[in-house]
Amino acid sequence: MPASFGHTNAVIKGRAFPPLQSRFVQAKLRVDAETAKLVDEAGAVLTSCPRVDVIIEQRIGRAPRRVTLPDGTLFESEDHDEIEDVFGVTAGSFIHRMERLHPRMIGFVVVAVFSVWMIWRYGLDIMAGVALALTPPQVIDAVDAGTLQTVDLIFAEPTASTSSEQKAAQAIFETLLATLDPDVRADHDFNLEFRAMPGMGPNALALPGGTVIMTDELMRLFPSPDVQAGVLAHEIGHVVEQHGMRQLYRSIGIAVFVALLAGDTVPIVEEMLLEGNVLLSLSFSRKAENEADSFGVELAAQAGYDPAGLIPFFEWIEHEIGDTASSWLSTHPSSTERMQRLEELITSQ
Amino acid sequence: MTLKTLGAKEAPFEFRGKTGEWFGIWITNILLTIVTLGIYSAWAKVRTKKYFYQNTYVADRNFDYHATGMQILIGRLIFVAGVVVYSLLAAIPIVNLVLIIGLLAVLPILLVRSIRFNAVMSSWSNIRFGFDGTAGKAFLVFFLYPFLTAFTLYLAIPFADRARRRFVTNNHRLGKSAFAFDSGIGPFYLALGAAIAWVLVISVIFFAILGSTMTALMVNPYILEDDPLAATTLLVGFYAYIFVAFMPAGIVYQSFIRNTLFNNSSLDGKHKFHSDVQPLTLVWIAISNVVVVVFTLGLMLPWAHIRISRYNAAHTRLIPGGSLDEFVGEMEAQSGALGDAYTDIEAVDIGLPI
Repeated sequence: MPASFGHTNAVIKGRAFPPLQSRFVQAKLRVDAETAKLVDEAGAVLTSCPRVDVIIEQRIGRAPRRVTLPDGTLFESEDHDEIEDVFGVTAGSFIHRMERLHPRMIGFVVVAVFSVWMIWRYGLDIMAGVALALTPPQVIDAVDAGTLQTVDLIFAEPTASTSSEQKAAQAIFETLLATLDPDVRADHDFNLEFRAMPGMGPNALALPGGTVIMTDELMRLFPSPDVQAGVLAHEIGHVVEQHGMRQLYRSIGIAVFVALLAGDTVPIVEEMLLEGNVLLSLSFSRKAENEADSFGVELAAQAGYDPAGLIPFFEWIEHEIGDTASSWLSTHPSSTERMQRLEELITSQ
Repeated sequence: MTLKTLGAKEAPFEFRGKTGEWFGIWITNILLTIVTLGIYSAWAKVRTKKYFYQNTYVADRNFDYHATGMQILIGRLIFVAGVVVYSLLAAIPIVNLVLIIGLLAVLPILLVRSIRFNAVMSSWSNIRFGFDGTAGKAFLVFFLYPFLTAFTLYLAIPFADRARRRFVTNNHRLGKSAFAFDSGIGPFYLALGAAIAWVLVISVIFFAILGSTMTALMVNPYILEDDPLAATTLLVGFYAYIFVAFMPAGIVYQSFIRNTLFNNSSLDGKHKFHSDVQPLTLVWIAISNVVVVVFTLGLMLPWAHIRISRYNAAHTRLIPGGSLDEFVGEMEAQSGALGDAYTDIEAVDIGLPI
């Protein structure tokens, strides 16, 4: 029978709960063209109202359909077909039809799995890019200032380098910046800081706003301008490509994404999703390092330094730290891989 | 008029959900959430809750969930905006400190409102639940007491947990009928002891398997370079250890507490509850669920949901101390919750214990 609004004289079987009471009686909802009457088994009228005032709640699976009358009486019925017959295709019927097991579910599964992968692979980066474009520069500067304070508080000590070492590094930094596209340069608040960082070795790090921190050990072990230029150009690459803020937005996006799609998971699965994502995200971190390497080689060469100067630096790392193979568990590609890429980049220059 | 009355015989909880049916609802939820760029997730949540509540029966009467998708959506938009702003500001240390203090003041209020929202939006046998806890007391039991246990080397954690369970349960109502929970401290220490025992047993087993590799590593750390297999074994082993030792320990603890909670709670002073979930069975269910879900790319998740709900319901009973027809709802419950929509905070979503 096609569902059509206005079907008259139907009787729906179910049970009725008086307003605000937990007791119920077996009852029938008698509906005619004008009114809906709730009657008990003896035929006595419990309540009645114009049929248009009856509220039919959404249907979910086979669970009893809930029908509310204006005085607060709740009528529950498993007579699903009869209800749709009498009241027509009401709220929630469309969704319910979509949800019924049907071969189209295979299509749903394919689309869902594919979409989740697309969002993880591309969507998050796009969202991070949009968020980045909307972030006021003051916030990024504040992040820099704050992070520098944290670095000082937790693992950095005042620099022990000489003023001539600092002047040399500063000169290299400024030469590199002068080579940058002026528009790009104006977008960031570049600034070189010197710190002693025990345990970090010869190293440098970039904060999102443009603050670059150089360790004493880098200046002491590698006084060569070519090495310092290579390392600093790499860090400038992180700033220009905005890797730091992108990672931050990406991790926020993932937390929201997991909460929205898998909010009601079973124990352990949600932890595994977030933990597994950390491992998977490392590939993005390695990709960022490669991008910064490419950028750095180009910038250093343009500024008149020898990009091959970085090779002794990576040889030193390989020898001292001994990372010969990068794996899916590394944040950085291995030094060996980076040296190989470096050589390729230099030859293609 | 014939009233359906039930004598004082035990009324088991019963879960009538079916895997196939739930799968259809679940995959449609995911699909529509993606197509609508996340907006539908609020309605998806309502349908999810309704499905599980409406299919849970006690004495042939089911639960229901009454929040609307729009209420949840507004709550979530505010929550997401809050998280984004907080994450950005938290990157600044001094502001961070101010934020933490502000959060300590605001969180108990949000927490209490969230519990009340969930209570008022839930019903059983046409009667809405209610919650009367205050933010001040919530601050004590959710923040101050757990913090203070640090000074006892965390030995007093069971006391803090019991205070929290008392606060949550004793402030819940079904209509005008109050829930009550009290218990000695013994079961709480037993639960903690069982969880610690689990961690110890798993640690011993893991050390027996990976111990030789670990010892070799301590003697000569460079073997990792020469032997990538050992490195991988060790890392995978470490992750497996975290998953098998600590997460199931949480499940063991929760199972003990669940039984204690039900077995020592009453409603209206006369109706009692009984729960006899087996910790090891729940650990087995959780671990096998994870394995099945992972190897089916998440597609068996609905099966896992139904499996847990069915198990929990099958091990829970109501022991009525009189007629179940006499509960009376409160009028204000219907309107009082509308203003609390924004307090639907996922992380502190404390629903019905089932």
